[in-house]
Amino acid sequence: MLKRTLATVAALALGSSAALAHVSLQLKEAPVGSTYRAIFQVPHGCEGKPTNVVRVQIPEGVIAVKPQPKAGWTLEKIKGAYAKSYDYYGTPTSEGVKEIVWSGGNLGDDEYDEFVLRVYLTKDLKAGETLHFPVVQECPDGVAERWIEIPAAGQSEDDLELPAPGVKLLEATNGH
Amino acid sequence: MRDHLGRACIQVFLTGIFWCCLAVAAMAHASLTGAVPADGAVVNAPPKTLSLSFSEPVSPLVLRLILPDGQSKTLETFVLRDRTLEIAAPGDLAAGTHVLAWRVVSEDGHPVAGSTIFSIGAPSSAPQAAGEAIDWPVRTALWLARIAMYAGLFFGIGGLFAVRWLIPDGAAGLPVIKMALLLGFSATVVSLGLQGLDALGAPLSNLTDRAVWSAGLATSFGLTVVVLSFAFLLALVTSSRATFSGRAASLVAVVAGSAAMALSGHASSATPQWLMRPAVFVHVVTIAIWIGSLPPLAYALQHGGDAARQALGRFSRLIPVCVAALTAAGLLLAIVQVQTFDALVSTAYGNVLLAKTALLVVLFLLVVANRWVFTKPAERGELGSARRLARAIIIETMIALAIFAVAATWRFTPPPRALAIAAAQPVSIHIHADKAMAEIAVTPGRAGPVELSAVILAPDFTTMIPKEVTFVLFNPQAGIEPMRRKATLQADGVWRASGVVVPIAGQWHLRVDILVSDFELVRLQDTIEIPR
Repeated sequence: MLKRTLATVAALALGSSAALAHVSLQLKEAPVGSTYRAIFQVPHGCEGKPTNVVRVQIPEGVIAVKPQPKAGWTLEKIKGAYAKSYDYYGTPTSEGVKEIVWSGGNLGDDEYDEFVLRVYLTKDLKAGETLHFPVVQECPDGVAERWIEIPAAGQSEDDLELPAPGVKLLEATNGH
Repeated sequence: MRDHLGRACIQVFLTGIFWCCLAVAAMAHASLTGAVPADGAVVNAPPKTLSLSFSEPVSPLVLRLILPDGQSKTLETFVLRDRTLEIAAPGDLAAGTHVLAWRVVSEDGHPVAGSTIFSIGAPSSAPQAAGEAIDWPVRTALWLARIAMYAGLFFGIGGLFAVRWLIPDGAAGLPVIKMALLLGFSATVVSLGLQGLDALGAPLSNLTDRAVWSAGLATSFGLTVVVLSFAFLLALVTSSRATFSGRAASLVAVVAGSAAMALSGHASSATPQWLMRPAVFVHVVTIAIWIGSLPPLAYALQHGGDAARQALGRFSRLIPVCVAALTAAGLLLAIVQVQTFDALVSTAYGNVLLAKTALLVVLFLLVVANRWVFTKPAERGELGSARRLARAIIIETMIALAIFAVAATWRFTPPPRALAIAAAQPVSIHIHADKAMAEIAVTPGRAGPVELSAVILAPDFTTMIPKEVTFVLFNPQAGIEPMRRKATLQADGVWRASGVVVPIAGQWHLRVDILVSDFELVRLQDTIEIPR
């Protein structure tokens, strides 16, 4: 019974998320100082064309990035130096993955898929703010959809044409 | 078991929260995937239906068609087939550019909007709006001042030169010459204020404002006024001196006065300047010598005597050279200014030129008649013919005055050359933001088919090569939703989008979306006035 309810709720959630037109994060809130499963929902292609490449920029303060491989997609991890050194469970970390690229896939405009990363949200990130992950969808013929706009002070995501998916940061919970 | 149930409960609870969040956060950015007629298309026949395809099913809020005459029509008959909206087009579409402005909402209620443009037959330029109101009192005053200025320059300065160098016997005409000088000087000074009124669009009652005068001085006409005033003053001060210094002063005055006319005006601003400015100078200086000689000559002839005969002889020998130079310079100016024969008839400038030429023909006929009929007998000393010649010269003077009056209207008629340049002149704006700036030009600067171009610079004025540049034009007042046009980078470093149609004149919002890198987008936005 319970399982069926869960399945229904999940189906509803899935159905409703399919109506999302821009790339978004499924989990809307996460505490700082914790591991976060960033699930990017890609609801459609670019101007009717299928998506071949999905690129995610890792914002500063997000470390220990591990993408989940996807069948049919080539995974690339672009590494670089962080702006500063971050503490990862007592270990200072100053470089790592800055961008993740899933390429070589073919996600139809009328299809839906999810792209998943596991990341660590350092305590240097400020609780109460929204952390944005700019995402670019690349399609054939040089066409692209870029969900890369980050609201300026006083702006909300609604004001933007191409909002980057975001997660609201919560206060750190005790322990890890 | 209990633990398992608890975890399940939490899962249900969390899933519920996620579902709620999703419902709230579901902002639909339905995007247009296609249009028929296609955006920017030119079709031969009026379309029966218009269709818009979106990335997901939508419901229209407002569908509006902006017609070539600027009127807008709300479209209310439409059907939604899957993700395509099919709209019945009004049956009576005229030729020209139409804008289909749409505002739709997809599933969750977040509206999106855009515009597509199509033209029937050919792209049209903007509908004609009411022209700028003309301030007739200011215009009349400017015209009268201009005539007085010409009279002062030609009869006053030119007359003084003639008396001092060609017809010493015409000194009897000096009072008239002095009056002309005074009139010309006052008119020149007053026209500075009138020019200021015209520049500021202020009424005649504002003539006492200081700002008006400084505005007049700031125009290119300001320099003309300064130099011409100097010439008038010099002529006035030295008008009674027949000495060498008086002769020298009259020469300086005629050169300075003619040069003043070459410093501003339509003809002087035409290219090539090295040719046009000297042409204006030659035209004016020869008019001054010729027309300026007429009144003193008339006085001398009425006076009679050997000196008058000698003067007439000198005049008859010199004037053909003068008139030849005058005509050559005038023809050159006319060709550069009018450019085509059609423009003689179709533009106000051309019409003025025709009227002036007609008066000039009459004047030349009179001159020729005088020379053949009266000059020889008068030179021989026949008093009757000298008197008749003097009368004929007075008539010539009157015609010259009429020519000045006609020529003075040129002040208000831009030459076809300038009209063509003005029409092709781009409208440009500079948008400056923290992360980038852009110099944007709309060429030509009027409604209709245009080319948009932008130079993108970093905030420190160094060149910046972004990945992509997109122009977005919208006009909320006219109900025109954003129209997007991607620009391409040209070899000269300019981003251009051609084949853009600005359907109506007025205030537009222009935005440049600059994709600095894959993940960084800078949007620069400002308003721009596109004339009709």
